[in-house]
Amino acid sequence: MVRYLIPFVAVLLFLLEPEFAKFSPIYFKDYTAYLVPRFLILYLIFISIYYNRKRAVIYGLIFGLLYDVFYIDIIGLYSVLYPLVCFIAGWSIKFIHQHLLITTVLAVLLVAGMEFLLYEFFLLIDFTAMPFMEFLNGRLLPTIGANLLFLLMLGWAFKYLINARLLERERSMT
Amino acid sequence: MPHFSNKKLIVLLVSVIFLVALISFSLRDRQNATFPEQIIKDTVGFAQGIVAKPTNYITGIFSGIESLLNTYEENKRLKMRLEEFAVLQTKVHNLEKENANLQELSDKEQSLLDYNPIHATVIARNPDQWEEKIILNKGSKHGVEKNMAVMTARGLIGKIILVTPYTSEVELLYTNNSNYRVSALVQAEKEDVYGLVEGFDAERNELVLKRIDSSKKIEVGEKVVSSGLGGIFPKGIPIGEITEVTTDDFGLTKMAFVKPSADFSLLEEVIIAERSITSIDGLDGAGTNNDLTNENTEAEGDE
Repeated sequence: MVRYLIPFVAVLLFLLEPEFAKFSPIYFKDYTAYLVPRFLILYLIFISIYYNRKRAVIYGLIFGLLYDVFYIDIIGLYSVLYPLVCFIAGWSIKFIHQHLLITTVLAVLLVAGMEFLLYEFFLLIDFTAMPFMEFLNGRLLPTIGANLLFLLMLGWAFKYLINARLLERERSMT
Repeated sequence: MPHFSNKKLIVLLVSVIFLVALISFSLRDRQNATFPEQIIKDTVGFAQGIVAKPTNYITGIFSGIESLLNTYEENKRLKMRLEEFAVLQTKVHNLEKENANLQELSDKEQSLLDYNPIHATVIARNPDQWEEKIILNKGSKHGVEKNMAVMTARGLIGKIILVTPYTSEVELLYTNNSNYRVSALVQAEKEDVYGLVEGFDAERNELVLKRIDSSKKIEVGEKVVSSGLGGIFPKGIPIGEITEVTTDDFGLTKMAFVKPSADFSLLEEVIIAERSITSIDGLDGAGTNNDLTNENTEAEGDE
């Protein structure tokens, strides 16, 4: 059962992202904060670290492609970035301890890196003219904050789910 | 990083080239989604629509609570305005009657003001928010076409940029896209003054109305509505209110900042305005470069 739960959660997070995006941007007096939900990639990073790198990269490719076609209309942006991030996450487990807190920080850092790459890309193709400081204050920091909060709330659940799957697999093997 | 063999390196290079080609293909100013894209969009849109329903319901509850808390204040304010409305209503009634009579006299059946509303629900908002896009649950099967105006009860929010059979994509007025123009008019004291809403000032969070004739006089607080001259938008959809008037960069025309009347956060139910009078793809259009004055090519440009 847990076997099907893993892709199901990925689909659910994919569909929930735009719903949460509707709350953004948030206006304070003269400060605008864009909160970009990155739930799916955080989940995929967890899969990559705790479960299976190859699986995560494949999910990243599929969902990245869906993301590109449905939202961005530029094919080949997220469908490269998602697998790349998953790949780096999976590769990094050689060097880091797989503690939940460390994974959380790593995942958020990777998302921040991805956000920065996207900013550079959109700057390059003239989709945005946002100066860097504004990007940092208005987008990157709020996004990091919001996603960190999300992971702190649900990171343990991801880990629990993946552990359940690993246990199930072991049981079916013996 | 892991060690690369020769073969891997070649695969990597080829995929980089493929990637660049793919990105540049999709970056072109495309008029229509390709067939596989349409299928993906419709399928994801369908699933998204299912998820959007309960979430819209929940956010609806929250905004319901919020408005409940404001009820007392709002009620007080509305009561004050109610009396004005009674007078206004009779006036509008008379004007409408007079207008109908005059139209009958002049054999003019349709006006730029008329439109058929298509009600649609927002099923998603582009989560990465680099482009200001929302996705609606109505598509070409429901009569939605590219470049149609999209509005809420309070005013214009954007226009349709891409249509698939069951979904459509809206680019909001808040955009950096320099090709995004909406022909607008300022309801000034003496006469209507025409201009183009071009772009958005990120620092002020306001729209920029450009190319206003510098001999015309406009003032702060005057209302800006769509002019209907762009070809596809109906006339008279409220856009916003002028907050500042200046001269533009070259000093030849005037420029004004417009505070949009619609609320862009938490959009849920929107109206797509299908103009009753024949629409042509003109200024608001897609840059098809077709000859719009010629009947035959007009149909092509109208896609």
